Amino acid sequence: MIMKLVRQPQFIIGVLFISFLLFFSFYWPVLLDVNKQESLKLMDFLYDKEGRIIDAAPFSPSQVPPVGTDLFGKNIFYQVIDGAKYTILIAIAIACLRILFSVGITLLNPRSSFSFLNDIVQATLYIPTAIIAYIFMSSLLMKHSMEPMSVMKLIVFQCAILIGIGVPPLISTFSREIKSILNKDHITNTFALGAKKPYVYYRHVLPELSTKLILLFAQQVIQTLILMAHLGVLAIFIGGSSTVVLGDIFTPIPVSIPIAGEWAGIIGMNFPKLKAAPWAILTPLAFFAVSIFALNLIIQGIQNCLETNKS
Amino acid sequence: MNFSFRSYLKRLRSTILGILIISILPALLFGTNTQLEQNVWEYSIGEIKYQVFPDIFDKYQYSMTIFFLALLTSLFAALVLTFFTTLLPRFLQRIIFGFLTLLESLPDLFIVVVLQFSIIYIYKTTGLLVANVSNVYNNPIYLLPILTLSILPTIQLFKITLLLMKEEQHKPYVTVARAMGLSRFYITLKHVFRNILTSLVQYSKTIFVFMLSNLFIVEYVFNLNGIMNVLLNTKGVAFMFTALMIAVPFSLLFEIAESNTVSINNQEEEDAA
Repeated sequence: MIMKLVRQPQFIIGVLFISFLLFFSFYWPVLLDVNKQESLKLMDFLYDKEGRIIDAAPFSPSQVPPVGTDLFGKNIFYQVIDGAKYTILIAIAIACLRILFSVGITLLNPRSSFSFLNDIVQATLYIPTAIIAYIFMSSLLMKHSMEPMSVMKLIVFQCAILIGIGVPPLISTFSREIKSILNKDHITNTFALGAKKPYVYYRHVLPELSTKLILLFAQQVIQTLILMAHLGVLAIFIGGSSTVVLGDIFTPIPVSIPIAGEWAGIIGMNFPKLKAAPWAILTPLAFFAVSIFALNLIIQGIQNCLETNKS
Repeated sequence: MNFSFRSYLKRLRSTILGILIISILPALLFGTNTQLEQNVWEYSIGEIKYQVFPDIFDKYQYSMTIFFLALLTSLFAALVLTFFTTLLPRFLQRIIFGFLTLLESLPDLFIVVVLQFSIIYIYKTTGLLVANVSNVYNNPIYLLPILTLSILPTIQLFKITLLLMKEEQHKPYVTVARAMGLSRFYITLKHVFRNILTSLVQYSKTIFVFMLSNLFIVEYVFNLNGIMNVLLNTKGVAFMFTALMIAVPFSLLFEIAESNTVSINNQEEEDAA
């Protein structure tokens, strides 16, 4: 299986791209030979060679290469590169936990039909996932504003919401899959020969599920990324936000700034000022698009591999 | 067509239960918001309060107009594109298929923002306002949201129809029709498309669910006063009511689509036997 996957060019390109992005995100100050603090600092004004102010933030891509700055004069490109590791790792972790929990719950009682979960799945068809997540997140943030909790706890709760949203549909998929596997002849025989349940699950069910698991995992990462982008637009940031007051004394403009520097946060922060600095939102969105494309390539590779397996 | 009312009721019951669970769960987990002593049928965006009734019916109508017009547009566009693609040589078809996979991975948000910004850019450089980019003073806009909403479904439908077309073109009836001397143009238009449309019904659920989620982003970014905006901002009973307004007709559509696909599958099994 793995050897066949390695021979799929699409799979290789996808994996290489994602790992390159992660690597670059961790070591960019060294690789680009810049100071991290220096390049992520706030820059209110742009000076020319003689020290005169020529412009105020946000700066366009032509003034601050390669893609300009946001409203606070922070370089978008460095922000996006720095945020890549958080974004991708959070998405991967959430997708991983979703799969783990749903397989675990399904294996607790594989014969049950999880009827109340099916109800939820039926309902989630009509309500977009972003809205469901928003309802939960906003009530969490409401609670947070009344009785503040530590950032770590908030992140854990938010991740729990993001995980919990994805679990019911996955459980209904898995319970269908696992039931069809358990109904096969060799499994019935194994039980008849006296095998224990954990042994059968470990030896027979999970190996048969494994390719499906990888496929679903990649799809879940994509879904999580899209969900995070949507939540970013709705101004819900992973890790909460701090409010900074911009503007002068007479017209204070409170702006919420995400604490963690992930892409969804960058999008959400710049979204209200879309028309003033479109590059600030288009760059992270383009990175989202490219990462999703890389993940789609991985999925394509796995599917090709499965098809050759069958024939 | 073997639509049964009983199975629809069953589906409806489970949908209602699910919506009930979803609307209650946040309050159960994180406690109710005691500070807000407002009417149940009222919701607020920013500082302004809105009544749910009777505006919700207008908003519903507006959203559904956009939704179904976008669906029709994308279906039409996908069929036209498929028709022209099948006339192209084989290697170009493969390139187009790969290109579609690339386009498919664009997030809906990206497309919405890019379209909105490009319209503004065109306006800035040439002074030509192609379409209004945002809802101002309750003046509903139609062209741009419909266009935006239809792009991603078009790509998906185009890909599905292309695949179905490939399958369909090797079936015996096409060969017979070719042997009878009918032109390829005529066969595709008259026979193949009809069969493809019936097969498309089984993908309708995926497309609808996908488009509902897209509709939400389109409404949010273009600042449309639609049903999804109400759904986003209401809580409790009003949320349930809004969700049910979407769920009841759509579940009927899903039920009809599914009963049709089941009958198609049954027919195939009978044919095989």
